[in-house]
Amino acid sequence: MKALAPLAALLMLPGLASAQAVEVDTAAGPVEAPQSPETVVALDIAAIDTLSALGVTIAGVPEFTPPTYLAEVFEAAQPVGTLFEPDFEALASMGPDLIVAGGRSQTQVEPLSQIAPTLDMTIGTDVVDAGKTRLAAYGALFGAEEKAAALEADLDSAIARAQAAAEGKGAALILLVNGGKISAYGDDSRFGWLHTTLNIPEAYPDIVAEGHGEAVSFEFVAETDPDWIFVIDRGAAIGQEGEAAAAVLDTPLVADTKAGKAGQIVYLDPAPLYLAGGGINSMLGSIGEVTKALEGAGASN
Amino acid sequence: MNRTTTWLTAGLILAVLICASVLIGAASLFSGDVDSGLLIAVSRVPRTLAALLAGAGLALAGVVVQMAVQNRLVEPGLVGTPEAAMLGLLAVTLIAPGAALIVKMSVAAAAALAGTLGFLLLARHVPRRDPVLLPLVGLIYGGILGAAALWLGWITDLMQYLGTWMSGEFSGVLAGRYELLWIVAVLAPMLYIAADRITLLGLGEDAARSLGLNYRQTLLAGLLLVSVITAAVVVTVGAIPFVGLVVPNIVSRWRGDNLRRNLPLTAWLGACAVLGCDIIGRVVRWPYEIPAGTIFAVLGAGLFLWLLNAAPRRAANA
Repeated sequence: MKALAPLAALLMLPGLASAQAVEVDTAAGPVEAPQSPETVVALDIAAIDTLSALGVTIAGVPEFTPPTYLAEVFEAAQPVGTLFEPDFEALASMGPDLIVAGGRSQTQVEPLSQIAPTLDMTIGTDVVDAGKTRLAAYGALFGAEEKAAALEADLDSAIARAQAAAEGKGAALILLVNGGKISAYGDDSRFGWLHTTLNIPEAYPDIVAEGHGEAVSFEFVAETDPDWIFVIDRGAAIGQEGEAAAAVLDTPLVADTKAGKAGQIVYLDPAPLYLAGGGINSMLGSIGEVTKALEGAGASN
Repeated sequence: MNRTTTWLTAGLILAVLICASVLIGAASLFSGDVDSGLLIAVSRVPRTLAALLAGAGLALAGVVVQMAVQNRLVEPGLVGTPEAAMLGLLAVTLIAPGAALIVKMSVAAAAALAGTLGFLLLARHVPRRDPVLLPLVGLIYGGILGAAALWLGWITDLMQYLGTWMSGEFSGVLAGRYELLWIVAVLAPMLYIAADRITLLGLGEDAARSLGLNYRQTLLAGLLLVSVITAAVVVTVGAIPFVGLVVPNIVSRWRGDNLRRNLPLTAWLGACAVLGCDIIGRVVRWPYEIPAGTIFAVLGAGLFLWLLNAAPRRAANA
């Protein structure tokens, strides 16, 4: 409740009496925040994604190489330190009405609250549900309920289309390629929503949730023999997506799997998944990539 | 134990480990799901060879460094080679993410060599009077290079990528991706030829010079050899700490300091230890992997502490 002290003080100021307080559903439970804040700082990539999709102008962003689809938003805003270390002086002189933090900047919520009302909008492993909850919360906060509802409808129809496309197409294995090594991710990991939300069965159902996946060998991929391999290239979160990962996966052990033979190794854009997971456009983009691949394939035998 | 028995035992242990390594893995050789010939040729044999070569190379490199700086508690990482290799890998990833693995390896090896040469230049200005000074300088130098690699990884959001080179493991080894490690097999005979000179290094500069050794040249040659081996290992499988420290110390406790006689044994023990750790790493959380470097660090640290406390047994003639 300490976080609300500066807010309460703000609300008592005569000039700000017009700022209505609304209750926002955050990762730390319901928190009061000013209605339609003018100057907004967002220190979480998924939050920047969803807020900009709602047409909210973001004044301050972290110093960060953004996913390409967010490049314009980042260019138009002022950098205010990094995700882990916000620049408190820059923030104080900017005087934001609201700070949205979460994910990597979650640890900074408490000190940021000293500057302005701060919301912890972290997206957990339950990516799609959390993403929708955040979307609705932002919609209510910025008076953009209609836009939020429209975006949610877009997401639901994209999911429905992906589910229809995934019907009878076989099981998938999510692989993260990092350097010359690979890790497998299961349905309870940060990328697991590709399995659970889109109804794509797991090729190896027992993968335990791990922050960085499970280190596996190429033998594991051969033995699992998935119909689909979804590849997230950690090394190429900086241009030329897929090329480096393709070189790593270029081995007979992968080529001889069902996915390899059918040309069903799908290289997903890593930045939306890896950096902005749970952002509305990031989810729409990733689902679109998966759907396109699934619809382009015949039903597996 | 006479020589023949020693070598027979060593050969037998090695054979058992190699068989285990070929038979154990995430895929089944006998279920018929995966072509077993392919599996052995593409995955198992390369992985076995990579572990053997890396282990032997690191152990030999450790011996040379310890002799060169007359300090038993030093290891090849002290010349900044792993950090320089990482810098090279990061650079090539940023400039040409799609480059073939062998290109990345070559760039990293070249960077590692450059980093080591930088250390050698630095080493020429370090007074030789205090043997601890050189490893300390090396540690600081490696720390600076490591910090540069970390900073570069941090600002480009490639920390996790960097992590793959910091933790040595063999899960990514396939035919065509470990061949750089054969450098170890090429360099080991050279080491054997130079063994006596490197033993003289261990006597210290004055004694070595009075015996007619070109001290500086030998030292530089030895450290160059070390850096090439270390670079090859870091680039192909990642840094495996402690091997260069623990293995030579075990051998010297057991057999004394006759380098020429001990080199084959050191190579054998390093190879067996790393392969053994890799097999354990494959089994503990099957079908997932635990880095061989992690297993070695746990077992090696325990063994080393025990060694430090055990009374030294120096056999004059084994």
